[in-house]
Amino acid sequence: MLATQKAGKILILATESCAYPGANAVGQAHSSYPENVFILRTRAPVLFPERFYIECFEKGISGIIIMSCGVECPYHGAYEVLARRIDRVFEMMRKRGLDPTRLRLTAICTVCTRAFLKEVQQMNEIVTKLGPPAAERTDTPPAEAS
Amino acid sequence: MKRVTKVVSSDSRVGVYICHCGGNISDHVDVNAVCEKISNLDGVRTAKTNSFMCSDPGQEMIIEDLRSGEIDRVVVASCAPSLHEATFRNALSRAGVNPYLYEHANIREQVSWVHHGEAATLKAERLIAAAVAKARLLKPLDPIRIEAKRHATIIGGGIAGLKAAKDLSSRGIEVVLIEKSPFLGGWTAMLDTLAPTGEKAADLVSSLAREVLEHPLVTIHSCSQVTGFEGSVGSFRLEVQKGPSDSGVPPVKDRGIFIPFRGYLPEEDEQPCKAFVVETGVIVIATGFKPYHPKNGEYGFAEFEEVVTLPRFIRMLAERDAGEGPLSIGGKEIKNIAMIHCVGSRHIPGIHEEDESGKLNEHCSRNCCSATLHAARLVRDRFPGTHVFEFYRDIRTYGRFQEDLYSKASESNVIFLRFEPESPPVVSRNPRADGSSLKVAVNDTLTFGERVEVPADLVVLSVGMQPSDVSDLIEMMKLPVGADGFLQEIHPKLRPVELSVAGIVLAGTCQAPMDTGEASAAGSAAAVKASAILAKGYVELDPFIAEVDLEKCRGNGECVKACLRQGALYLKDFDLHGEKVRKAQVDPVLCTGCGACVAVCPENAVDIRGWTISQYEAMVEAIARES
Amino acid sequence: MNAEKSTMQIFKFDAIVIGGGIAGLQSSLDLADQGFKVAVVERDATIGGKMIRLSKVFPTLDCSSCITTPKMAAAAHHENITIFTFCELESIERNTDNHFVVRITQKPRYVDQDKCIGCRKCEYVCPIYLPDSEQGGFSARKAIYVPFSNAVPQIALRDPENCLLCGKCEKVCPTRAVDFFQEPEEFIVESRAAILATGFEMMPLEKNVQYGSGQIPDVITALQMERLLAPHGPYNRVLRPSDGMEPESVAFIQCAGSRDKSLGLSYCSRVCCMYSIKQAMLLSGALPLADITVYYMDIRAYGKGYEQFFQNSAAMGVQFVKGKVAFLNGSDGGKVKLRYESQEKDGGVQTAEHDLVVLSLGLLPGWNPDGKCGVSPASDGFISTVLPKSAPALTDMEGLFVAGAASGPKDIVDTIVEAGAAAMEASNYLGRTGRS
Repeated sequence: MLATQKAGKILILATESCAYPGANAVGQAHSSYPENVFILRTRAPVLFPERFYIECFEKGISGIIIMSCGVECPYHGAYEVLARRIDRVFEMMRKRGLDPTRLRLTAICTVCTRAFLKEVQQMNEIVTKLGPPAAERTDTPPAEAS
Repeated sequence: MKRVTKVVSSDSRVGVYICHCGGNISDHVDVNAVCEKISNLDGVRTAKTNSFMCSDPGQEMIIEDLRSGEIDRVVVASCAPSLHEATFRNALSRAGVNPYLYEHANIREQVSWVHHGEAATLKAERLIAAAVAKARLLKPLDPIRIEAKRHATIIGGGIAGLKAAKDLSSRGIEVVLIEKSPFLGGWTAMLDTLAPTGEKAADLVSSLAREVLEHPLVTIHSCSQVTGFEGSVGSFRLEVQKGPSDSGVPPVKDRGIFIPFRGYLPEEDEQPCKAFVVETGVIVIATGFKPYHPKNGEYGFAEFEEVVTLPRFIRMLAERDAGEGPLSIGGKEIKNIAMIHCVGSRHIPGIHEEDESGKLNEHCSRNCCSATLHAARLVRDRFPGTHVFEFYRDIRTYGRFQEDLYSKASESNVIFLRFEPESPPVVSRNPRADGSSLKVAVNDTLTFGERVEVPADLVVLSVGMQPSDVSDLIEMMKLPVGADGFLQEIHPKLRPVELSVAGIVLAGTCQAPMDTGEASAAGSAAAVKASAILAKGYVELDPFIAEVDLEKCRGNGECVKACLRQGALYLKDFDLHGEKVRKAQVDPVLCTGCGACVAVCPENAVDIRGWTISQYEAMVEAIARES
Repeated sequence: MNAEKSTMQIFKFDAIVIGGGIAGLQSSLDLADQGFKVAVVERDATIGGKMIRLSKVFPTLDCSSCITTPKMAAAAHHENITIFTFCELESIERNTDNHFVVRITQKPRYVDQDKCIGCRKCEYVCPIYLPDSEQGGFSARKAIYVPFSNAVPQIALRDPENCLLCGKCEKVCPTRAVDFFQEPEEFIVESRAAILATGFEMMPLEKNVQYGSGQIPDVITALQMERLLAPHGPYNRVLRPSDGMEPESVAFIQCAGSRDKSLGLSYCSRVCCMYSIKQAMLLSGALPLADITVYYMDIRAYGKGYEQFFQNSAAMGVQFVKGKVAFLNGSDGGKVKLRYESQEKDGGVQTAEHDLVVLSLGLLPGWNPDGKCGVSPASDGFISTVLPKSAPALTDMEGLFVAGAASGPKDIVDTIVEAGAAAMEASNYLGRTGRS
């Protein structure tokens, strides 16, 4: 548990109709997951502009998981727009020298407790390995990987 | 009970209430230590704990602090918001404070039940700090209230439309029914008896039509079409054009009666060709279906006069006088009838041929199996000398008492032959001069693929149901259409009669194939949704919609482009100090509050009320901060 | 008993809805949204009916829980709806005002409903482990428990049959809600209209001699398969129950009890074809290498989008074999042996072996009105409807309407539509008879 306590903070943006109740179902099952995970409730994560994610990393958040409703999204077309936006955020992260695995878009349903734990565990391993984002950030873009 | 109160100068005065949940929280989170820390945060006036915040004493504590003016907004840290967010918002209302000046921190399901020890306490503190950060930025909100005219318009006078008209008028709602043809009753009027009950379609249509026509709140416009549409839920405006009719209006003496195989002709004044406007609160779309018209040469259709569709055959049977000799066609006795199922339904790409517009009917038409078996039964009962052969893929007698039709048809010696879609039956002239004029050949899978030839004096094609052409309405009202061409409900499982356009509901076969009973149920289900919208005289919607900051907006239109609901955002010209400026505007009725616009505004001029980006930023800062 | 009767509590509503499954919830929401006061009476400890227990729904493959929970919450939080759970309906009669008088027994939960906060502390300390019927019997529950994570209400109940009265739950309860001495309590709901939404039950496997009476290992019911496929199911993946092996070949047997007079059900159970196709599709995702075979008489993919769904499943590799399965046997190799009468290729009686066999058992009425209510069942045992073509929600009792599978097997969408229709008919009846 010591390793997880030292790991950077993980932000979860969870949709109020699917993923947020899903996270509560994890609580009802009393399954444990790292304490560095903070869940914010959203109506639809399509709301957040690209810069919001970058600024989260600048504020010291080490990893972000967007837990959407996926195909069950109550807002028609929003998931597709979100997925395209996240691709642009990945691009911006690469340019800033931020490891894009710090951000993940996934779909979690109201009873997907195991999927939730898996996502959190994986992200925790990533941020533990990568350390805080400040250490990673460079102002000059890295050489394009071929 | 812990209480920490202090005096600070801040615009917002937050009260924080932390629940022990009888040990569920306090066994893992040091609630008193958290309370102490939180009370020192900027903007926090008071922080208190209670063993059960949801209890009456817990709620009273909040109400007292609000009433005394000590605080003007509230954070409760307790269980999941799904359980008690509404409880605490109500407490604010009871204290006379806007219920949206409330933020919830979930420290049970997302802290004390998943973490333990010091770490749980630290996380609870961070989450409450985040809730406080958001609470400080909350603004009072009011639900959006839209006046709704207690008036419904139904488009289509078939069974579903008539049923909806009957139901809504019974609820005391004024109803206008617009029907394209001169008749009421739709395709049900083209039937003789209904499967499996055997009741007369004419009786059903007549009694329903009369009930609707006699109701003082209903106005029927036959031979009429909607030509213009504007407005939104509660106040739509429809332009309607009456006449001329293309299907020929029967003479006046025939009015007020049911004309077999045409429908019920309302008794009304001759008012040919006029245009008028209907102002209405809700619209019920009940525009029905159209039967599949076989292609020339499809199973010999239009090639041999002995090949007819099922609706045509039903009429032939009904119009034949009872009890006089055998069934005949062109003076020749019909000894053998071949009935072919799934004509124009269950098309498979690569096997079936697309029509001119490149469309296939991949759907099952749901009714044809029962209708065909019902017709077969009637033939066997009335004309024992006539043999019936049914060529089918699957018999789909799914409905209540429909399976009996199938077993009774078998018992009355209807012969079943089953074919695979790849090798459909072939209808051709029977070269043998002595027998039936046609023959139908098929590889019958029930006899293990044996090639079977059946003589036929008549071939009946069980034609399917297709979407009727309502492209004008689809265009005008922006109605969603599914891949099958039928109108598409908002959720095919749980919200089957609602559309994504608020205030417009679906009834009957404009949506998918249905039988008469199912269309009646759909008409009523659509009516109950319409009735609920009109029940109060106004519609109340969530306040969480987009809001444009006119100071910041520069009218670049990015938000309008990104909007996922057409019309929810638009650009409008304003006069500002004699200068013309263009700004984005939100239509509160259409906006669903998804926030797609928020993300794209370069000026950060759009936000979702109650869920603003700056509130999220403040929460992230509070979470990221080291304790 | 008379003295008790006189003190019996009476609650008055505009309408009562019997059954808190998806039909009952939809009917009550449609009534309540028009301003009527509605009581919902549910036999189970939670509302949600069969639907909340399913994995995904056809043909959209939406997560069933995700689309049911909002309806449950909407009903639970609606200002015009009062929900009574864990209640048994005793009788529906009419009084001299022509109102329905509904006698109801609140079964004892042995937990005070007003005090319990659903924290499950009792459940954690309880030492008893029992097969959890909410998970197909494949995992365990305690003798005091909240039915499942999204149950509404979140209130615990004690299973008196299996409780050892050790008292641990009582000690740990933070609100002192555990009450070992709770008694059944009768109360009355008086209403002017009523809707029967009493749903269906699946024919018990034990009664199905042809298919082994529940004695052959790895022959399971379709509802058990739903649990195996659910994201929060008992094993976290699809395993066969006898030995925990991943099945390499799975068979779905259609009309296992339906369309078969020898088993008493001559009717079609209407939903089996589609849920089996759905399960087959989900299974081919969970076990990509498994062979999946559906034995059927006719594939009844009649609803909107159903035929396309069926064709997709065939394209995905699900095998469809036309044939009636005559009986099942266990076999030495841990397989289930199946004997069927083939209606394709060479025909005749054939045999096959599968690792796991799922039965589409027939659907039976969920409630019998006999001796409780004057409404008539039809020959199939489901509630009789008097105008099935023009007003399918009407029964032979004035003011009493029917919705969903109470009037015959029905899928979710047809149930929702009928529930709306029943609410409409009830609203108009209430309008005709004057508002109180």
